[in-house]
Amino acid sequence: MRFKASIQNINTFTKLTASLNSLGPLAWVKLSDDQVCFTIIPEQGTQVWAVLSIDTIFETYTVQSAAGNVINLEVPLTSLTRALKSALNATSAQIRLTKKDNIPLLALTIVTTSASNSYAAFPTASANNNNEDGVDAPFDSAFGGGSRETIVTQEVPVRVLGPDTVAGLHEPQCREPDVHIILPPLLQLKSISDRFTKLALAGAKSGSGTTAARTRLELAANMHGCLRMSIKTDAMSISSVWTDLNNPELDPNQVAGGEIGLAEHPSTRMKQLGTADGRSDEGWASVRIDGRDWGKVMSVGRLGGRVIACFCHDHALILYVYLPNENGEDESVLTYYVSSYSA
Amino acid sequence: MDDEDELPILTAVSSSARQLYLLLRCINFSEKAHVQINEEGLKFSVDEASVMEGSAFLDKSLFTTYTFRAPQPPQHSQHSNSDDEDEHLSATPTFQISLPSLLETLQIFGLTDPNNNRPPWARDNPTSTAFSNNVLGMNNMCRISYDSPGSPLSIILTEATIRTTCNLSTYEPAFAEEIPFDRQSLAFKTIMRGSWLFDAISELASTTPERLTLVARMSHGKPYFALSSSGSLGSARVEFNNNPRGPGRAPPPPPTNANANPDDPLTQPNLLETFQLSDPDTTLRSTYKFALIQKAARAMSVSTKVSIRADTQGVLSLQFMIEVESGNVSFVDFRFVPLVEDDEEGGEGMDVDETMGGRSEDEGGTDDDDEDM
Repeated sequence: MRFKASIQNINTFTKLTASLNSLGPLAWVKLSDDQVCFTIIPEQGTQVWAVLSIDTIFETYTVQSAAGNVINLEVPLTSLTRALKSALNATSAQIRLTKKDNIPLLALTIVTTSASNSYAAFPTASANNNNEDGVDAPFDSAFGGGSRETIVTQEVPVRVLGPDTVAGLHEPQCREPDVHIILPPLLQLKSISDRFTKLALAGAKSGSGTTAARTRLELAANMHGCLRMSIKTDAMSISSVWTDLNNPELDPNQVAGGEIGLAEHPSTRMKQLGTADGRSDEGWASVRIDGRDWGKVMSVGRLGGRVIACFCHDHALILYVYLPNENGEDESVLTYYVSSYSA
Repeated sequence: MDDEDELPILTAVSSSARQLYLLLRCINFSEKAHVQINEEGLKFSVDEASVMEGSAFLDKSLFTTYTFRAPQPPQHSQHSNSDDEDEHLSATPTFQISLPSLLETLQIFGLTDPNNNRPPWARDNPTSTAFSNNVLGMNNMCRISYDSPGSPLSIILTEATIRTTCNLSTYEPAFAEEIPFDRQSLAFKTIMRGSWLFDAISELASTTPERLTLVARMSHGKPYFALSSSGSLGSARVEFNNNPRGPGRAPPPPPTNANANPDDPLTQPNLLETFQLSDPDTTLRSTYKFALIQKAARAMSVSTKVSIRADTQGVLSLQFMIEVESGNVSFVDFRFVPLVEDDEEGGEGMDVDETMGGRSEDEGGTDDDDEDM
């Protein structure tokens, strides 16, 4: 069992693990020849199934195992995120699976190059004596052009999962969505949903006091480019409506039943209902979700991808977060499965 | 029932929710606020245990359009609040709303847009062009409407392609009476800069005092005004002294107390713009709960001027003049009921107060004498 890769995009990898970590502490990481899968299945809240192409985060990637070159690991995300954070300024970083005292671990080797004036031996002295260039110069040349490498190794203990352990885990199945829509920038959405949650909590304090601390956001969308987010408390009800969003066209080749399947698709029916200004009561597919859980989901916004939300009315919300990559093909996608509370 | 067909009682549109937010934030010390609507504007008032009240008046000039239609006097109890209210109340609709909710709503946009903190080229998704409303500072249109008695107060905010509607539940008014303040029989009145009062109160707050005593008198034809605090940790006093006003007399170096005001008094010839005492021969002294006065601190910090008045009953009125963006001014009022002095307090507290009072008077006197010489 061998896994070794150099991390090409430390920043993306760190943001990814950090936003996954907000949903659950442990990730099932499946490494195979052509892709890396991160799966979070928390006790409560939203599941994430992320499928990344190798070159989204890695390069010079090798994985070998007896089970068809697939390695399944249970990775503590907090430790991994922390390790990756120390690599943010690195010139290069490598990750490999190794063993120490019979404990499997992911070893992260981080190489950092210090700039000429900031090495530890003369940090402030040389900065202060900048005028005396003649004195400093010999030292700089003596230390190899004024730069030196620091190598840090971070070890994250992991658990290797057997193929039979993960055999029972399947990506959730869901019926065809009623509405699919491209969401506005998640950070904008998050700032408003966070405020809504805060409002609901403030309202609960002044209200009966028996109101559960949970905050139920209602999220709805129609096939005319509108997204609506609302929350109700004793003291108030508030809703924000986004208009002029995009409802992407479905590809008949991807829909079961082809052209006929597309004609009978729930979203085709939903197109008949509702209006583009979002004032009509018809044509909305809505879900009720927990405000705080939603805030955690929205933290993926820092990756800055395109997000398509699929609404199954009263049932579930599925978010597809497409990570941007340079060559534009083979997009990596994170799939969030959010379940709707009933009423 | 015919009320339903009528036009709404109030529709008001403001081009900047931020202005309204800045004013209402001054009185944000209570969960519920009373709202009174009339032809001149909207009055928001909050009260604390009936010994303090604060109110902010949103003049109709703050709005680009302001339409008020007095509701018909209710014939029957078809609306929830028509049962026990007098007719004059229904003429100026009064109700309660949750003030924190309103404030949160007013700052939904603009303040929280993550793009605002970044330079334009670093923004993920450019929300503005050179000609959009953002560049005019008009990015938070706010529309307030109130349809009929019993209906919610609606706030509609629009920004680019986002429209937020907030319906605030309206509640029956809980108090109908204001703290009586007799403008006709003022015992004391002075006007000064709000920030000076703010500095003085923050200075005194450092010892978390329980009481604040206001002392005002004329000494040698010169106004003397002091705020002194006392509590279990000790007492402190901030004095405000005007330069001598006498014509033809060379102004001596300003004798102000070190912590009274950090500004250079020479540039500001008179600390107290107006100073009136109904009876210049006696010393006005009245005591208030410090914690309550402190609740007006937000208003002090943003106001340009404050008018401090006390009537003969000792009720204190603080009226703050606050400049809003459009260049005109708005007012925020506070009223405080005085503590009953020397009657109900325990012996210890009384002692402290007496010594404090006595000394302050003496010292103040000598100080003033020295200055005059």
